[in-house]
Amino acid sequence: MLKCVHKTISVGVATLVLTSISAFAFDGKKDAVDGGMTYPRKDGVYTAYRYNDQKVPPISFGRKATPNELKAWNTDIMPDGTGLPKGKGTVGEGDELFEEQCAVCHGDFGAGGLGYPTLTGGDIASLTNQRTPGKTDAPKRTIGTYWPKASTLLWYIHDAMPYAHPKSLTWDETYAITAYLLATNEIQLDGKDMDDDTVLSNENFLKIKMPNEKGFIPNIDGPNGVKNVKAFLSDGKNIGAVGVRCMKDCKDDGAKLVVVKDPRTDVTPPFAEVKDLPKKKDNSVKPGQEEYEKSCAVCHGNDKMGAPDVGNKEAWAKVMKKGIDKVLATAIKGTGAMPPRGGSSYSDEKLKQIIEYMYSKSK
Amino acid sequence: MKKIDKPSTNDSSLVSNKSSRRDFFRKAAVYSASAVAASSLLSPVKLLAEGKDDEFIMEEQPWATSLGYELNKNPYGVPSPYEHNVVRRTTPLLSSAGDMHAAVSLTPLQDLKGIITPNGLFFTRTHNGVARIDYNKHRLMIHGMVKKPIVLTMDEIKRYPSESVIHFLECPSNGAAEWKTPQFDSLQFVKGMMSCTEWTGVRLKTILEDVGVDPKALWMLAEGGDGSSMSRTVPVEKVMDDAMIVYAMNGEALREEQGYPVRLLLPGWEANLCVKWLKRLEFGDKPWYCKEETSKYTTLLPTGKAIQHFYPLEVNSIITSPCPEKPWTDLKKGDIVEIEGLAWSGKGTITHVDISFDGGKNWVEAKLKGLVLPKAWTRFSYIYKYEGKELMLESRATDDSGDTQPTVNQEKKIMGVEGVYHRNSINTWYVKANGEVHNAQMRS
Ligand code: HEC
Ligand code: HEC
Repeated sequence: MLKCVHKTISVGVATLVLTSISAFAFDGKKDAVDGGMTYPRKDGVYTAYRYNDQKVPPISFGRKATPNELKAWNTDIMPDGTGLPKGKGTVGEGDELFEEQCAVCHGDFGAGGLGYPTLTGGDIASLTNQRTPGKTDAPKRTIGTYWPKASTLLWYIHDAMPYAHPKSLTWDETYAITAYLLATNEIQLDGKDMDDDTVLSNENFLKIKMPNEKGFIPNIDGPNGVKNVKAFLSDGKNIGAVGVRCMKDCKDDGAKLVVVKDPRTDVTPPFAEVKDLPKKKDNSVKPGQEEYEKSCAVCHGNDKMGAPDVGNKEAWAKVMKKGIDKVLATAIKGTGAMPPRGGSSYSDEKLKQIIEYMYSKSK
Repeated sequence: MKKIDKPSTNDSSLVSNKSSRRDFFRKAAVYSASAVAASSLLSPVKLLAEGKDDEFIMEEQPWATSLGYELNKNPYGVPSPYEHNVVRRTTPLLSSAGDMHAAVSLTPLQDLKGIITPNGLFFTRTHNGVARIDYNKHRLMIHGMVKKPIVLTMDEIKRYPSESVIHFLECPSNGAAEWKTPQFDSLQFVKGMMSCTEWTGVRLKTILEDVGVDPKALWMLAEGGDGSSMSRTVPVEKVMDDAMIVYAMNGEALREEQGYPVRLLLPGWEANLCVKWLKRLEFGDKPWYCKEETSKYTTLLPTGKAIQHFYPLEVNSIITSPCPEKPWTDLKKGDIVEIEGLAWSGKGTITHVDISFDGGKNWVEAKLKGLVLPKAWTRFSYIYKYEGKELMLESRATDDSGDTQPTVNQEKKIMGVEGVYHRNSINTWYVKANGEVHNAQMRS
């Protein structure tokens, strides 16, 4: 079934360029939407596979979704405003919420610097930056310089953030935070700069103008969207699919060997290829460990956010000097960027157990 | 009969309280050997001098002189403990702030054989940790521009006639750390964001025949049930070609890391598009502009424009033996050795793989071996006489859509070095005269 047509490579021709590969394996056609191959399904045969080709009426399982179920789950928001939920919030409200719930990871004003995504800053001109040898300025991909649609931001924040408690924000809060992030990115609403009192709501949401809306190719909108994608992906010059199957004396101008220098070794578990017995380790799960990993490690697993990081003796000695009761009380109330109960709903007793676990790992 | 005064099992982790003096020495020898080995990355190469008797032949070994462990000690089997280093690995570079909930773990390609990845070694990328979903409570909703919006339970999904297909999945940022220069000296970290599995599930078309998709629908939204509700937009044309929803891999239920209990499978396309923990499919006539097809998974070009909706993983290949983890340091001049590797293309079927020893100037054709399937890993092989010379070893694959892997320079000229995704240029292993293998690139 696999037809390899061009098996002869004529030796003696200096550079052999095979422009039209005619080895259409499995009778495929180069007409897929991704510029690649589709293969026929015929008479129970699909490429190297057989399948059951009995003729049957449509097979039907499941049941009709109810209107309420559709309402409950169909919560996506599209660029044209489809699905925009009712709600409103001001930039100022968003500022407060962001500081409380987001800045711990994304930095003040979303300016990054803590290892989590940077949400603001940079300019569109930076998108042409290329860190080729000698150039160190990276392109800055933020909401203001890169994101094509504001609907993405509202939808994503509501569904996916804050990271450890997704879907916990009300729509009013989500509008407020979105307004704040747009404002810090100096994005305009209805042609005007946004200030603390600017209200963003489902009424005026479509008046946001995203600076990099036109920064993407091909055009996927409108009735020809899919056709455009297909045409774009089918032309190798657009996507770097320009390799040639040269066999002899092939040219690659200026190419020289670059061998890895100071290779990275920060991997877990460490590199090892030996076939030996593992060192015995204590695999038992300690009380509080599971809850720590689930609810606290996002902040306490590293030292980036100012949380006493687990494993850091000094930091934990300082915390525990106050005595467990005081520390527990602080953890229950929350302090600084530490939300009440670490954002969880664990009982006092469970929290104590978790804190003791964290301390035990930091002695 | 010898009296058995040892544990009645030779579960290797329990081989311990030996009593005889001979045993003591034997044990000491084994332990010191592994102590040395543990300090080095590579297996110790034990060369036995000609004419010398091998103690492991000359003496009975504990596993031959004791009762093995009970056959169902592990109702779900586990690999030999001697294989404990064959694991997925992570690095903080491929994460946010070293946090391992939105990060990636890579498959140890250097240790894999054939074209099937064991389920426990399948690479994993998540955006909000691994969701633990109750099979009984999971629902799949299909709605939007359809005649009959439906809800399916897992048991109902499994009632549809099933098909099994072998396809690779690859994260489009596989190799992304290497755009500017080689950064890792490891096959696992150069190409390990991919795996290949026999998937079982139902062709989406089969379900959609009943649901009745409006002919005007151009796009389908796929949404996951994890904390980030990971979602993507897919053209209906792909859905009707070869898309599936799958609930099994290599014969068993999907692993949680791979989307238990059900995920979307779009053969050959970005693994991110193959939405895990799949809960909702909505048909529409406009694209959705999800976070993962705007802010991320878009390829920034030197022009400052970015490619959105860049679906297929293009033709690619990598030599898996030798590689930095499996060098040729034990070979002698004149040894006949197999060069082996993997080739794959999301656009079709592999037709040729060529090998170069001189950094891409001259090429010879390798042989394909094993199953050669569309959008699946394909093994290639070339038998080589080792000469103890420096080599710039490369492989280059071609697929039936006519694509051949570009050189680093060809790809860079069009894509630049900041695109992050869809890197498929030719990889170079620099083989030193002593047989060590290091990651390298041929570039200007
Ligand atoms: C505990 C750390 C943490 C907190 C707190 C947090 N985030 Fe995030 N955020 C992340 C991580 C990690 C990602 C990347 C997720 C991924 O890989 O998909 C992210 C991604 C984002 C993105 C997309 C960034 C991009 O460029 O693609 C936005 C927008 C965002 N967060 C907004 C928020 C908002 C608003 C809040 C507060 C309501 C918040 N985050 C709280 C960790 C956090
Ligand atoms: C969103 C990030 C975040 C999460 C999640 C979080 N913490 Fe914290 N935690 C912090 C920060 C930041 C501090 C330091 C606050 C300060 O000193 O201003 C802190 C401090 C603490 C302290 C020290 C209090 C003291 O008296 O000094 C304890 C104890 C603690 N956290 C326990 C927990 C526990 C238990 C959890 C999980 C249930 C948790 N945290 C989850 C960010 C977090």
